Amino acid sequence: MRAVIAEDLALLRDGLIRLLTAHDVEVVAAVGDGPSIVGALLDHRPDVAVVDVRLPPTFTNEGLLAAIEARKRLPGLPVVVLSQYVEPLYARELLSDRGGGLGYLLKDRVMDVGTFVESVRRVAAGGTVMDPEVVSQLFEKRARDEQIGRLTPREREVLALVAEGRSNAAVADHLVVSEKAVSKHIANIFLKLDLAPSEDDNRRVMAVLAYLDS
Amino acid sequence: MAVASARRRPRPVTTMNDALGTMPEGPAAWTRRWIARRLFAIGIVIALVLTVVWATTPVAYFWPGWIFFAVLFPSAMTWSVRLALRAKVRRPLAVHAAVSFVISAALVAIWLLSSHRIFWPIWPMLGLVIVFAAHALFAPSGSTWREKALAERVDVLTRSRRGALDVHVAEMRRVERDLHDGAQARLVSLGMSLGMADELLDSDPAGAHRQLAEARRAAGDALADLRALVKGIMPPVLADRGLAGAVYALVVASPLPVEVTMELPAERLPAPVESAAYFAIAEALTNVIKHSGASFAWVVVMQANGVLSMTVGDDGHGGADPGQGSGLRGIQHRLEAFDGTMQLSSPSGGPTVVTMEVPCELSSPKT
Repeated sequence: MRAVIAEDLALLRDGLIRLLTAHDVEVVAAVGDGPSIVGALLDHRPDVAVVDVRLPPTFTNEGLLAAIEARKRLPGLPVVVLSQYVEPLYARELLSDRGGGLGYLLKDRVMDVGTFVESVRRVAAGGTVMDPEVVSQLFEKRARDEQIGRLTPREREVLALVAEGRSNAAVADHLVVSEKAVSKHIANIFLKLDLAPSEDDNRRVMAVLAYLDS
Repeated sequence: MAVASARRRPRPVTTMNDALGTMPEGPAAWTRRWIARRLFAIGIVIALVLTVVWATTPVAYFWPGWIFFAVLFPSAMTWSVRLALRAKVRRPLAVHAAVSFVISAALVAIWLLSSHRIFWPIWPMLGLVIVFAAHALFAPSGSTWREKALAERVDVLTRSRRGALDVHVAEMRRVERDLHDGAQARLVSLGMSLGMADELLDSDPAGAHRQLAEARRAAGDALADLRALVKGIMPPVLADRGLAGAVYALVVASPLPVEVTMELPAERLPAPVESAAYFAIAEALTNVIKHSGASFAWVVVMQANGVLSMTVGDDGHGGADPGQGSGLRGIQHRLEAFDGTMQLSSPSGGPTVVTMEVPCELSSPKT
């Protein structure tokens, strides 16, 4: 798997390169500022891009804007956006093209190396990975929602994991239950929230996130 | 003090110009200027000379008195008005008094120099006193009004500055405490876990793993603490997107439906105003969500004619008391630091509307 990295802090850039290389991800280019991102992606056409939100020259959110721009030029280009903080508004903007192959994660997640590499692989394969922090903020927003109030605590837990972009198997693994139990929960959740059930993982995540963010 | 020194300052400049002008002009012009500056002294000398002349003549009437009068009157007028202009309060009244006094003195002098029969100057002097009294009583005009306004302004500034400093100090104290109890403590714990993992690595690999997992958790918690802290000081979305973007992000994250109307210039507002405005709107929205029982809120943010106005309203049950929560007072202090104001209208039964205004000139493109 080939990756392009955009991160301005040398310490983190080197760490990311080492981490990904150690897990058989070839880093074909590493850029340190916003304007170079789109060019590097067009040149290398990687399997995945890992982009920091805040980059020179303005140190605001050019990483995010470059990721959105790159996906306009190369539809479906898998991008993992990393940031020191997450903002539901940015998640909404990233997801607005509904193309899949998208990750939005706190930089903290890099510390859990196994899960992080797994997330990058999932995004490269066209999946959607949303940071638990974004999901919990969306849940907070819907705290008084009647429909969500009808879910059992376990169903809410499953919903959050689905919103993070996990497959049935991953949810089952996380909650230490059978996959069958998970699919039953998910069927119930979709029924209670009036969502159309979908076998496609990506479409399912999109539906759940759109519901939570509405 | 300031007035006096400001008046004196130009003097050396004039002297220098004189000196520069003197050189090509020659002695005639220099003499003219010398005489002009010493007019009073010259007048007195002439009057004294004429007094001596009068003493040698048999005329009884002291006619040189008129020369003294002609020399003294303009000078007395000039000095007294200058003196009056130094008054710190009610300057026009002081000038009036000075002019009246010199005129009265002149009238007495004329009376002394002319016939001594009846003391006629009493009538014009009475008139002057009446006019002066009327001025003092009925025309606490321009300057007093301005002074009052200035005094009020100083009061407001003193209060708002103290309020802003209080807010600032409280903020710094909170940051210090949060860092001390949060991120710093967690980093210490992380270091300890790493140290223990190092010790256990050979003898007890499973124990070392547990310590490493613990260290990772501490690092994650430290990051979460720092993130929360930064959000309280300067929300990253505000730094990224400015006021409009940050308010929009607030609305996106709000559990209540919020209607937003924003008319803001494309360029960024001055950073301190932007930050105060953001926290004011955020606090007002938080109050709506927490206390109002509303099902709907609205936010209007506009910048026009050098004023940034923000209105946050809801359809809740009203009855909000600005004296109750520290949140609203905090907003007020923050806004007052920028000469801003906050008004709360919250009748029992609602609706609640918070109106905030901050004077706000647009920053130059550099900032």
